[in-house]
Amino acid sequence: MIRLLNVRKGFNLGKSNEFIAVGGVTLAMEANRVTVLKGPSGSGKTTLLSLIGCMARPTSGRITLQNGLLGGRSFSGGKDTPEVEVTSLPERFLTEIRRRTFGFIFQQFNLVKGITVLENVMLPAYPLGEKHGVVMKRALALLEMFGLAERASARVEWLSGGEAQRVAIARALMNDPPVIIADEPTAHLDSKLSLEFMEIIARLKDEGRTAIIASHDPLVYNAPMVDRVIAVRDGLLDGDGQ
Amino acid sequence: MILHPAIVALVIVSFLMTVMSLSGAFFGIRIIRRWDLTSGSEEQLLLERRTYLISTILSYVFVFEIGSLFLFIYTADSLHTLFVGAMCAAGALYVDPYGYPTFLLKILNVILAGLWLIVNYVDNRACDYPLIRKKYALLLVLAPLILAESIVQTLYFTQMKADVITSCCGSLFSSGGSGVSSDIAAVPAKAAMVGFYLVFTLTFLSGAVYWLRGKLGGLFSFASGLFFLVSCVSFISFISLYIYELPTHHCPFCVLQREYGYIGYILYATLLTGVVAGLGVGVLMPFAGIGSLAGSLPLIQKRLTLLCLVSYLLFTGVSIYRMVITDFTLGLL
Amino acid sequence: MASWIEKNRSILDFTLSSLLRRKGKNLSLLVVYTLVVFMLGSAMFLTQAMKREAALILKDAPEIVVQRLLGGRYDPIPVDYVKKIREIRGVISAGPRLWGYYYDPVAGANYTLMVPRNGAPAREKIIIGNGISRTRILYRGDIISFRGSDGIARNFTVEGEISPESELVSSDLILMAEADFRGLFGFPAALATDIVVTVRNPKELLTIAGKVAELLPDTRPIIRDQMVRTYDSVFDWRGGIVVVLLMMALLAFVIFAWEKASGLSADEKREIGVLKAIGWETSDVIAVKAYEGMLVSFFSFTIGLLAAYGHVFFFSAFLFVPALKGWSVLYPDFRITPFVDPYQVAVLFFLTVVPYTVATIVPSWRAAIIDPDSVMRS
Repeated sequence: MIRLLNVRKGFNLGKSNEFIAVGGVTLAMEANRVTVLKGPSGSGKTTLLSLIGCMARPTSGRITLQNGLLGGRSFSGGKDTPEVEVTSLPERFLTEIRRRTFGFIFQQFNLVKGITVLENVMLPAYPLGEKHGVVMKRALALLEMFGLAERASARVEWLSGGEAQRVAIARALMNDPPVIIADEPTAHLDSKLSLEFMEIIARLKDEGRTAIIASHDPLVYNAPMVDRVIAVRDGLLDGDGQ
Repeated sequence: MILHPAIVALVIVSFLMTVMSLSGAFFGIRIIRRWDLTSGSEEQLLLERRTYLISTILSYVFVFEIGSLFLFIYTADSLHTLFVGAMCAAGALYVDPYGYPTFLLKILNVILAGLWLIVNYVDNRACDYPLIRKKYALLLVLAPLILAESIVQTLYFTQMKADVITSCCGSLFSSGGSGVSSDIAAVPAKAAMVGFYLVFTLTFLSGAVYWLRGKLGGLFSFASGLFFLVSCVSFISFISLYIYELPTHHCPFCVLQREYGYIGYILYATLLTGVVAGLGVGVLMPFAGIGSLAGSLPLIQKRLTLLCLVSYLLFTGVSIYRMVITDFTLGLL
Repeated sequence: MASWIEKNRSILDFTLSSLLRRKGKNLSLLVVYTLVVFMLGSAMFLTQAMKREAALILKDAPEIVVQRLLGGRYDPIPVDYVKKIREIRGVISAGPRLWGYYYDPVAGANYTLMVPRNGAPAREKIIIGNGISRTRILYRGDIISFRGSDGIARNFTVEGEISPESELVSSDLILMAEADFRGLFGFPAALATDIVVTVRNPKELLTIAGKVAELLPDTRPIIRDQMVRTYDSVFDWRGGIVVVLLMMALLAFVIFAWEKASGLSADEKREIGVLKAIGWETSDVIAVKAYEGMLVSFFSFTIGLLAAYGHVFFFSAFLFVPALKGWSVLYPDFRITPFVDPYQVAVLFFLTVVPYTVATIVPSWRAAIIDPDSVMRS
């Protein structure tokens, strides 16, 4: 469970171009559910997503993560607390948590050009210092799962849209994270690929993972496996939807 | 001034390190005044990012300080031919009053930079930067010292005039003369030996006790610092005699030359590693009470203790080995 | 500990592939870097090698040379001073030396004429150095004419050449018999150019030199060490001047390196953003940049070093020779003995790699602190 308590995020505070992206959001996300943040561009849902995913620190407010979600690792001085507050963690700890807890799928996939598919999938594991052979095996297994095993040594520039999407998902799953975060995943996909994407999300949910998706695509927020839809507008929540 | 390429190199490197550490110190002042981990303000984020820069800078400073220490000694040695009476670096350093202070400052800065890196490492293990202010206060001490070293080194090189009659290390470190260095050599070899072995045993025992039981950490740290000083004195007093196989050659620099198998590097490296690790344990002692460090601190201190003991053991071992295998004898051992 | 090694291995892997992906950008940096190392290295190797060469040659120089001064200027010395010097305690031997300069208008060069202590050639015969041989195209059996101070031309037959090993000092040397020398220059029999002295105990050199100066107040004794020191100073000074001039080049290089490191293309920024987003820390990206710098430094330094070595020791430093040897018409043709020690390499390292590394610290850090959510926002 991920909890946000009166979280605000502003940029260029005190200057003439001050901008409040998220203004006082209180939210509780449940584990093993698919939640969609619905809203137009500029509504702040992307910023909200980055706050939930421990990518950015809120200007004020608190964010807590359930300890179980972190795979049993505690970050508060050795004490075994059910919830860990991540608001003020230094970057190296926040990144540590993010690596093990969240897997990200971006709007434009953001695969690193010039290296192979396999290397792209292995990238999130490099900072963890596992043995190269182990990492490669895991990456190959993931590519298998998405039917991309033969494309392992291909350059990412040669992939089709659907293949790239699946590589991005495989990369997100590299460190076996309990939570998947996706930002406008279907923005560059046709309906067929969009539906495929949602099916993969359903599969991940069956595996016990949590998914949080930001999207203004009806194909996404109207999909059957979505448990909860939260409307976001101008940096604030717009009621709760189901 | 003597325009030797090595002098140009040393001056450039010192200048760069001074600039780097002073800018680090200035950021440090800001951090000390404005640091607030709980605030998510942009200023705080900027400060946190800055700490990465300063850590990187200090790591490089540490490495370059060590390099410049050896380069300095080597340069002094290669300049000795320009001065009448100087037989090696020891004489060349005596040419004007800034030579030895430069050398001592360099050693001090190596030790302080090493200690800073240890405190930085510990600070980064905890999730709330508990040592941040103390760390940058230490930097405010180190940066001016690096500036001082730069200035003194430049003065040393600009004030030296070739052909000046100076003492060669024979008369500098011999018991007959006057001044600090000859006082060191004047320590009778026997007394120095006794002191050396005594302090070594004290360090080793207290270190072992600390490593096994976690007690006597303060004593161990103090002993490790004492051993560093005693080793320096002992080296000049008797260890050097065995390595050079001459009853009057006390110089601590000639041992870095090829003719002695570059053994000096091992001795310097082990001694410096040992003192930084040993003093590090002591420097970290006051922070034992901090909650966020409770998990990681004891382990780090134990590792430092081990490192210190192994280094000092190597130093003593190599010294004793050289004393044993040579035919030369002071009638002691 | 093992995971630390693995992590750095992976990061190093990534760095290598990242460098190879951007060959164009890195190539120009590599070339400039290598050039800087090459120039500085050549200057240093040449000075140090020549210093060593000079020291080796001067090892055979006489321990004390006594010159006579008249009005502060160098004057021939009476031969009977030799007896007086021999009487000083500690002196093993003292003997007169005859040598001088002869200007040859044909070649436009000065020759050094000398009467060797042993092995002087017969009357009207000379032994010449290789520089003269080449310039005047003189070989064994050829005849050359010198004009004496009395205006009369004298012919000398070349008996042989001085061996090329000592070419650095003997290139412009001519050995002749004493009678010929005195006749050519009009040198009176009672005078010599200077007196060379050898002593029993080298530690006594200063004292004995002092005694000579006291005994013969119109003379100036010069100790060999003083000569060695002077040559050392001159070579150091000349080498230092070249290094200082190259400081301008070094400064330009450092600025260039800073610019290169700061100028991240949009692609590179995006790539770092992606890395940060998928879980790489700032320190990991700093490590990437540090490794990049190390790899570039390693290649440039090694290639520059080898090129400098080849330039100085195989091609006789053809680019630098004029500045360091001074003006002369007769260039000795010699191979400088290769002499490189770790100390010189260390100095070169501190002059090149350290400034480069420092220049890249801040740009690397700026690149590494790109926000993880930057890829989401764009």
